[in-house]
Amino acid sequence: MTGTVFDIKRFAIHDGPGIRTSVFLKGCPLRCEWCQNPEGIPLDPILWYFSSKCIKCGECVKNCPVDALTKGGQDPNYIEIDHDKCTLCGRCTDVCPTAALSITGEEKSTEWVASELLKDKVFYEKSGGGITLTGGDPLYQHEFSLSILKAIKEYDIHTAVETAMFGMEENLLKFVPFTDLFLVDFKILDNDKHKVYTGVENKLIKSNFERLSKKTENILVRVPLIPGYTATEENIINIRDYVYSIRADIRIELLNFNPLARDKYKILHKQYPTFQTNRSYSEEEMQSFNRFL
Amino acid sequence: MEVGFDKKLLGLIPKIEKLEPITRITQMKDIIINNERFLSLEQALIITDSYKRTEGKSRSLQRAEALSDSLELITINIDDDELLVGNRTVGIRDGVVFPEAGISWVEKEIDTLPFRAQDKFSVRNKDKVDFFEQIVPFWKGRTLEEYINTNCGNEISAISGVVKINQKDHAQGHIIPDVKGWLGKGPLGLLNELESHKSINKDHQKAEFYESVEIVLKGALRFIERYAVLAKSLAEINSLNDSKQELMTISNTCNAIIRRPPETFREALQSMWFLFVILQMESNASSFSPGRIDQYLFPFFEKDIKDGELSLSDALELLEALHLNFNKIVYMRNSEGARYFAGFPIGFNISIGGQDENGEDAANALTFLILKAQEHLGLPQPNMTARLYNGSSDEFIDTCSKVIGLGSGMPQIVNDESIIPSLQRVGISKKDAVDYGLVGCVELSTQGNNLGWSDAAMFNLLKALELSINDGVCLLTGESKGFSAGALEDFSSFDDLIDAYKKTIDFFVNKMMKAVEFVDRAHAVMMPSPFLSSVIKSCTEKGLDVTAGGAQYNLSGIQAIQVANVADSMAVLRQMVFSEKRISKEEFIKALRGNWKGYESLRQSVIHKVPKYGNDVSWVDRFGTEWADYFAHSLENFQNIRGGRYHMGLYTVSAHVPMGKNVGASPDGRFSGSPLADGGVSPMYGQDIKGPTAVLNSVSKLKSNLASNGTLLNLKFLPSFFTNKEDREKFNQFLRTFVELKIHHVQFNVVNKHDLLEAQKYPDKYKNLTIRVAGYTAYFTELAKDLQNEIIERTAHEM
Ligand code: SF4
Ligand code: SF4
Repeated sequence: MTGTVFDIKRFAIHDGPGIRTSVFLKGCPLRCEWCQNPEGIPLDPILWYFSSKCIKCGECVKNCPVDALTKGGQDPNYIEIDHDKCTLCGRCTDVCPTAALSITGEEKSTEWVASELLKDKVFYEKSGGGITLTGGDPLYQHEFSLSILKAIKEYDIHTAVETAMFGMEENLLKFVPFTDLFLVDFKILDNDKHKVYTGVENKLIKSNFERLSKKTENILVRVPLIPGYTATEENIINIRDYVYSIRADIRIELLNFNPLARDKYKILHKQYPTFQTNRSYSEEEMQSFNRFL
Repeated sequence: MEVGFDKKLLGLIPKIEKLEPITRITQMKDIIINNERFLSLEQALIITDSYKRTEGKSRSLQRAEALSDSLELITINIDDDELLVGNRTVGIRDGVVFPEAGISWVEKEIDTLPFRAQDKFSVRNKDKVDFFEQIVPFWKGRTLEEYINTNCGNEISAISGVVKINQKDHAQGHIIPDVKGWLGKGPLGLLNELESHKSINKDHQKAEFYESVEIVLKGALRFIERYAVLAKSLAEINSLNDSKQELMTISNTCNAIIRRPPETFREALQSMWFLFVILQMESNASSFSPGRIDQYLFPFFEKDIKDGELSLSDALELLEALHLNFNKIVYMRNSEGARYFAGFPIGFNISIGGQDENGEDAANALTFLILKAQEHLGLPQPNMTARLYNGSSDEFIDTCSKVIGLGSGMPQIVNDESIIPSLQRVGISKKDAVDYGLVGCVELSTQGNNLGWSDAAMFNLLKALELSINDGVCLLTGESKGFSAGALEDFSSFDDLIDAYKKTIDFFVNKMMKAVEFVDRAHAVMMPSPFLSSVIKSCTEKGLDVTAGGAQYNLSGIQAIQVANVADSMAVLRQMVFSEKRISKEEFIKALRGNWKGYESLRQSVIHKVPKYGNDVSWVDRFGTEWADYFAHSLENFQNIRGGRYHMGLYTVSAHVPMGKNVGASPDGRFSGSPLADGGVSPMYGQDIKGPTAVLNSVSKLKSNLASNGTLLNLKFLPSFFTNKEDREKFNQFLRTFVELKIHHVQFNVVNKHDLLEAQKYPDKYKNLTIRVAGYTAYFTELAKDLQNEIIERTAHEM
């Protein structure tokens, strides 16, 4: 079977135990304002541009059959992409000598993904690591995700799934026999705020979480700290109380904010939100957040 | 832990962990580093006088007498606060002129020495005058350098570009003496032993050899005695009680090790230091390496600690004093050499950890104390190597990681699991192979019994490829290099190209061997080394100087340069030129001949559109493996003149820069004259974009077994990997996997703010710098500038 993958990162060390490889699967039902991989939200592939690699040769502009590219629009250092016009024909990526343009999100087979993941098997074995499905949200392409998990489990490798749990319960539970660790994202406990900031209510998320926690013990709740959104005392305490009310032995981890996604919003012609602060939290700040847990 | 069961005193580790830096050592460190360095002519003058006196004797006896005179006459002193005494110059870090090997570069550069960009030495006027009046005229026609130039200069320059022949104007060095034997017997014991060997071997040449050894060992005893006397007389005039006491301790220590083998930790360190000073006085060479000091010094340490004679902090102070001493002797290189070996590395390489002969973890309390000294001092010397194997303890690995994280690049990590079998493959016994140590930078050697001649030559495989696709004509000079197997236009298939490349390699390997043999022989003629021979096993039994094949093992190492560029170039040629035919052969070679001028777009495609070595792409990595194999096997048809084998190394240390200067534009997108990939087996900079696990996988495909002379891999990491305990744990696992993958060597550069600023400026070179944040996917160079700045600030903060 096949699915859409937008990246595979080896030596991932913050997405579960040991040394891991993370597979980034496209598609996510949430629309978090702060999403750090916005290119992963839509299921469809999209033309992607790395300004730092571009030598401004203009070859791409010349070769685009539908005039989707312009040089020197608002920002003279950028090739602007009209994503509506672009047909993803791949002409520009072929002529671009520096690979500054690429189509992110490729159709890949389960076998291909598995063979990429197996390349670092020896590292997983030595470090107690394994593979992590992330995205986007692996629940979005749940059949494909499941096929990868099954393929990897054949080799007795540790598997983790990072999900916001917004999907059909039965699809989520299908992962359970093949998943050694669920990294579940909890962003905001207040339902109204959740709706405003992520585009969806969190009722489904909660009920899925409750069901999941009955089926497996291997859950780690992760709260991304977004300044002005999730990183408040109230929210952290609420999440804590809620999680512990479901099961007191579930671990909660706070993820530090990082402002690294700004460039991505520019390429997508999206507004990057203004955060209260534009840097990661210091160790001391992290400690004080952790005190709320 | 019960002391009775703690044979390695590992129970002391928590106490060692808490030891603080020592003020007195820190002060001495500052003095050593900031001291003005001078050119020193004193020993050259002594040697010159000596040679005049001994005119007509054999070179071996002349060398012996010259060393003995130096030991007798060189000015000695004891610096304030010094704990372990002995130096070959009065000034700290003076640059010694050494006429027996060669002085033509000093003749040319003496005026610029004080002003050159790297590693300056001041020159006193009187020394300059003496140099030209007394040294230069006498040594005309008497140096190793001239001997080689006269007899083999043409052959050597005919192949230069492809082959760099080394050891042409200085003694060989690159050896681990039998420190254990030296400590066990002392110079007096060695002299006694000599008598019994002498009585068995009676022919004339051997008699001369024994006479030489006797002269230098007696000289060594006198040299140590001079320090005993000096310390005592300084004690007598010193009014401070503490200093008096210390000077008397120095005097007593020196006296003791003249009379008998050392018994205490202090005596052992002092004795060992004299050994290295005297070796330098005999040869003035890079890389007399101490080997496994945590093993042979441990019995002394253990005894003193158990007897309550030595506190841990005193032991650390002595060790740190030894570390300081390793920085007091420098090796003055010519300006070219100084640029590439900046900071005069002299190759006091110490190897710690690893396994013992029973396969058990050899790391002991002293191992941890040595790491502590490195943590405190972080000096360029000693060059510290940690041996890992499957049985290394978590504690040892974690302590190494912490020290690595401090950013000195040390300890570098080597791997018993791959090194021991590869040494056995070239005829070394299991017992000796298990006891290996590192020499200089990354050269592999057994201890105390092996003239490894590890830097015989460097073979530039990329240059050979250039000649193979350009009719044997150098792209830089347009000059024909004497052999052609065709040009790219002529090859109808990729296989044709492979044939041509093989023929070119064979041609130059044959020529190289003749030159290497000659240089090897020249050392036996011009640089016999009786003192070194006294501390290399089997020389005195055989009655044969180490340069003439007296050692138990006699290897010669030749480096193949540079796997990454060859693999990448082959990948480009195969994919773009022969398979996809994106560009014609004629166009492609035209682009190379013109150094990519007018072909920037092609060059970019070459860089970005063809996978490169270091990304775990099998068909590309295979080129690296194949050509390293081909080269290694081509060496196997030869035997060196000392009766030993040739074997391959895959390292350049910093020579990837000058080696790159010799190569025109290459098919991998490299510009003419620009550096090759660094280290030895590292990917081309910026080309390893799949992260460090992929790099290790790629490197592991090379047959390390065939690279028994040593390999070098550099990896860059951000400081956060070492400061945060959880990340460091993953780094430790990474090291364990490195061991599992049977790669010989890896060294870690901790990226600092400066590196990141460079990365902003030259993104192509740093494409591999990954930013690892949960769930986030980015390479440093792909971030916008302000975000890069954010990371830079954060990194600076972590340093
Ligand atoms: S992918 Fe095709 S349509 Fe889209 S911008 Fe590139 S050339 Fe134009
Ligand atoms: S072809 Fe590539 S390098 Fe050239 S302008 Fe377009 S994106 Fe930039």
